[in-house]
Amino acid sequence: QRFRFCGDLDCPDWVLAEISTLAKISSVKLKLICAQVLRDLLGETMEYEKILKLTSDAKLELGDVKATIAVLGFILSSAAKHNVDGESLSSELQQLGLPKEHAAGLCRSYEEKQSSLQDRLRACSLRLSRLGSVGWRVDYTLSSSELREVNEPLVHLNFHLRDGERAGPVAIPMVLSAEKFRVLLA
Amino acid sequence: MLLVLSEEQKAHLGCLPRVGDAAVGELGRLAMELLRRGAAPRACEAAAKKLNVGVDTVQQGVEGLAYLLTESSKLMISEIDFQDSIHVLGFSDELNKLLLQLYLDNRKEIRSILSELTPKLPSYHSLEWRLDVQLASRSLRQQIKPAVTIKLHLSQNEDQTAQVLQTDPSTLLHLIQQLEQALGEMKTNHCRRIVRNMK
Repeated sequence: QRFRFCGDLDCPDWVLAEISTLAKISSVKLKLICAQVLRDLLGETMEYEKILKLTSDAKLELGDVKATIAVLGFILSSAAKHNVDGESLSSELQQLGLPKEHAAGLCRSYEEKQSSLQDRLRACSLRLSRLGSVGWRVDYTLSSSELREVNEPLVHLNFHLRDGERAGPVAIPMVLSAEKFRVLLA
Repeated sequence: MLLVLSEEQKAHLGCLPRVGDAAVGELGRLAMELLRRGAAPRACEAAAKKLNVGVDTVQQGVEGLAYLLTESSKLMISEIDFQDSIHVLGFSDELNKLLLQLYLDNRKEIRSILSELTPKLPSYHSLEWRLDVQLASRSLRQQIKPAVTIKLHLSQNEDQTAQVLQTDPSTLLHLIQQLEQALGEMKTNHCRRIVRNMK
């Protein structure tokens, strides 16, 4: 069976298996755990101790806690990736066997943060390098050892790149004559 | 298959009968710690003081035992071969039995430690991809040229490298087809026979 939040593909087996673990936690606590997982997906720090406290009532083992975090992360990021609205997500999760209140709470948390999640995912998309800034300088050559009166302008450009393939700022300097610079601008 | 011990190793192990059977257990434990974590000179000194022998004797005995255990585990020699190999050292029967027990108890663990020592190639860590469409360039306007950009993250012994690759969708489909053919090889009769025999 195909699910929209999985990109119109089958739901992965491990997600199906962990839905029953999610059902063991109360729906109120699940919403709070969702909030923590959303914080991690948005790039803020996740408060792991809070999640441990929230899951302690359901008597989940450490492996189950990690699995819960993983499956919530997958559901939320995958739904944002495929631009699924809250109601469709809720009905699909219920088809997978998640109880109605749990699905409703999860989808409410998702809807609140859907656009910021998508913005964050957009920013994390693969980018090879980014232009940080361009520095320039124009010199005027008066004379040289070859010719007494040169009187030519010379353009110096310095492109500062951020997070290239080599991670870390890179500077690319270059020098252009006036004609070359005009060709570049044309 | 018999283990061949050099004269030096025989001399190292020659200290074992002198320290007594109980101490051999202690030296065996130190040899296992040597294999798990590397040299521990302070532990050897403490053992030397407790057993009333020189530190060098203890160190050589521990190293000799470690060599004996690793070589036996590496070759996975049978009990009879192990007993025949240490018979040449001329130890008492109890000592031989102790050494055999030490070998059998720790064989599995030593083999798992040894399996981690193989040289490793860079292994897959993660993959990022991006689908772009080139609409125009300086030389040609109004084009449609799709391209898939892939950043392959590899890790090798805690070093992370990244490779950037770019391809068009039809090459990517061809690549996927080739990889699926490679996976399909596992299902041929030839591979199935080998896998069955290995189990």
